[in-house]
Amino acid sequence: MSVNTWLATGNFNTTYRQEQKTFVTSLDRSIFTLFLLTLFAWPVFFPISQKYMLVVDNILVAIVAVMGLNLLLGFAGLISIGHAAFIGIGAYTVASFSRTLGDSHVIVTHFWPVLILLAGFMGALFGAIVGLPALRLKHLYLAIATLSFQMIFQWVINFMSFFNQGQTIYVGRVFWFTGEIGRNQHYMFWYYIILTLVVLMGFGVRNLLKTRYGRSLVAVRDNDRAADAMGMNPGLTKVYAFALAGFFAGVAGALHAYLYRGIGFESFTLHQSVGYLAMAIVGGLGTLNGSFWGPVAIKYLDIQMEHLAEFAGHYMVQASNLSTALKPLSFGLVIVLFLMFEPRGIANWWRIAKSYTKLWPFRY
Amino acid sequence: MKSKKALLFNTLLVFAVVFAFTLPAQAGGKAYKMGLSLAITGPTSDAGNPYAKGAEDWFKYVNDTKMLGEDTIDCTIKDDQYENDTTKRFFEQFVDDGIVLFLSYATGANLALKRDFEEIQIPVVPASYHEGLIVDAKYTFMPVATYSENIVGLAEYVVENHKDGGVPKVAFFIHPSAFGRGPLEDTQKAVAAGLKMEIVEVVEHGKDLDNSAMLQRLISKGVQYVLCHSVQSPVATMLTDAQRLGLAAKTFGEKGKLTFLGAHYTGGNDLIALAGAATEGFFWACSYNLTSENNEGAKKQLDLAKKYGRDDKAANSHNYGAGILAAQIATEAVKMAKAAKLEVNRENLYKMLNDMKFDSFVAAGPVTLSKTERIGVDVLNIYVAEGGKFKKIKSVESEFIKKVRAGR
Repeated sequence: MSVNTWLATGNFNTTYRQEQKTFVTSLDRSIFTLFLLTLFAWPVFFPISQKYMLVVDNILVAIVAVMGLNLLLGFAGLISIGHAAFIGIGAYTVASFSRTLGDSHVIVTHFWPVLILLAGFMGALFGAIVGLPALRLKHLYLAIATLSFQMIFQWVINFMSFFNQGQTIYVGRVFWFTGEIGRNQHYMFWYYIILTLVVLMGFGVRNLLKTRYGRSLVAVRDNDRAADAMGMNPGLTKVYAFALAGFFAGVAGALHAYLYRGIGFESFTLHQSVGYLAMAIVGGLGTLNGSFWGPVAIKYLDIQMEHLAEFAGHYMVQASNLSTALKPLSFGLVIVLFLMFEPRGIANWWRIAKSYTKLWPFRY
Repeated sequence: MKSKKALLFNTLLVFAVVFAFTLPAQAGGKAYKMGLSLAITGPTSDAGNPYAKGAEDWFKYVNDTKMLGEDTIDCTIKDDQYENDTTKRFFEQFVDDGIVLFLSYATGANLALKRDFEEIQIPVVPASYHEGLIVDAKYTFMPVATYSENIVGLAEYVVENHKDGGVPKVAFFIHPSAFGRGPLEDTQKAVAAGLKMEIVEVVEHGKDLDNSAMLQRLISKGVQYVLCHSVQSPVATMLTDAQRLGLAAKTFGEKGKLTFLGAHYTGGNDLIALAGAATEGFFWACSYNLTSENNEGAKKQLDLAKKYGRDDKAANSHNYGAGILAAQIATEAVKMAKAAKLEVNRENLYKMLNDMKFDSFVAAGPVTLSKTERIGVDVLNIYVAEGGKFKKIKSVESEFIKKVRAGR
């Protein structure tokens, strides 16, 4: 380790402990702290409209979900095309309480942190169950198994009267120490809650990957037989990867339920599952920061395409259908282009940018 | 020196010209903001697209003809592609923009936003006629009879006109969603309240391209009438299959055959375009006046579409008429508020909507809204497809729906 903790010029570690440090230099830590402070402070100094606050909250919820998917797909190498169903499990855990006890029951409105955690555990439980086929299946076959779960989930929600047959189940307004969170504070309040969770879960993932549990995910992904030979249990690791992804998805689902103050099954369909996959791919599989870049990029692209479609619609009135098709077209195109030209996702651009600035003014 | 004077003169001239063009616009009346979010593309856009055109054209007409004097209605129309989360985002944007009235669309999105409407206290005119939207809702004003009213009205028509003696045997063919199931539940309640018919089977359709087995099964169970509540394409598939199998009744209630009847979104010109001759003999309940009726109302609808360059398909669509009616209700509320010398805001528009009565050229009857009456047009026209057109048989008002509502 360099003597100067502010300006280390290379990876020079003398102990494993040093190597496992989250921040290599004090400068890194300071920049990150400043960044976090900015994230927490900006809405106070630069308030934005409710619409955009909802968009930001939505991105943060997607980040929680994609962190889970990235653990499963990026780190453990297990494909899942039923991630929206896991998110739905979390959302419908909250909905079940709301439907059974009433949407304004004290458990729903006051004990929401407990429900969010419970939703995570329900997601983990279902994740572990759905992960069981992973003991025997791989690749496309496993993808089909997760697809089946997605279909079963949709069918159950759409037909069971307990779940209101897919119609909206309302969730009451939550309470904080200051009282009920009203409409005007709603999105801001959830911004801070979700952001806190994103930070905590982000550190959780970061630390997990330094432990043997995290390394076993990567080992099983790279070669499960070799991992087995090294004393790991590939089967258990795969099931635990699904449970972990399910936990993140469950938490995301509960956050979605509270953010939208209601749950309808349209938010957890196969279409959404594909969307989360796209976010993970575009962000960068197998990287933590990819889980942040993906949702930001895809949601931003969505909104920009919407604006472009509206703009084009004004000039191509007769072909408004065509202009609106820009949205799904751009979505598909972005995924294909990333797969072809930057399979490591935006996270790779971030890596390049970081190395460039680290060595600046020298070429990287 | 001369050139400096010329420069000053030219600058002043430019300013004068700019003021001349901009001043009237600024000095003109107020613009009342409204928002419409609906599926212009994507699922159900076959209905949403002409609906959007109808609303847009009516607001243009209001502004062009100075119906509100110097004041105008500025309605932002956005395509949510039938995604509830997107509708929520648009709604938040509209609220940020300060809209005084919201024109909404899908059943799911309306149900999801119901609490917001009540909290913000914003009047809403939906394009979905799902009965649940006006249950425990103060601010939603249904333009026309609900889907439940359509289906219960058709069920009453079946009971009244069933000739073979005994109780008519009916099957339901419904969309697998809240939209499809709501009217079924209300019809079951109507049957429990004394409507003499037997519901033999309920079919929640998927995306089947062949309904032969289902139709044969219905026949084998003695079903004579099929009440449909869905969108046009699955109904068209079923009608085509029934025609191919020779199971479609040629006259109402023909024994051993199936008579098909459907509510608002099952019928119309799109159904004829999809099913062709198989549509013949299909009975359809709708609270809108059709252009095929060739009456005064139809001419006005066609004139409006022509004025704004709409094609025949949009102009003749009952969904184009539906868009016009929603916009007319909004306009009427503004007119009433202005006439009462009230500020045009959410609160006052809500008051106006609680006591509204006017005739619309696109509707089957007068629009009447009050504190206790949340449905604008209660009259249903029952049409039958004949010679490639829907022709009106009679206008009805459902009696049993009142009993169903009273029992809630």
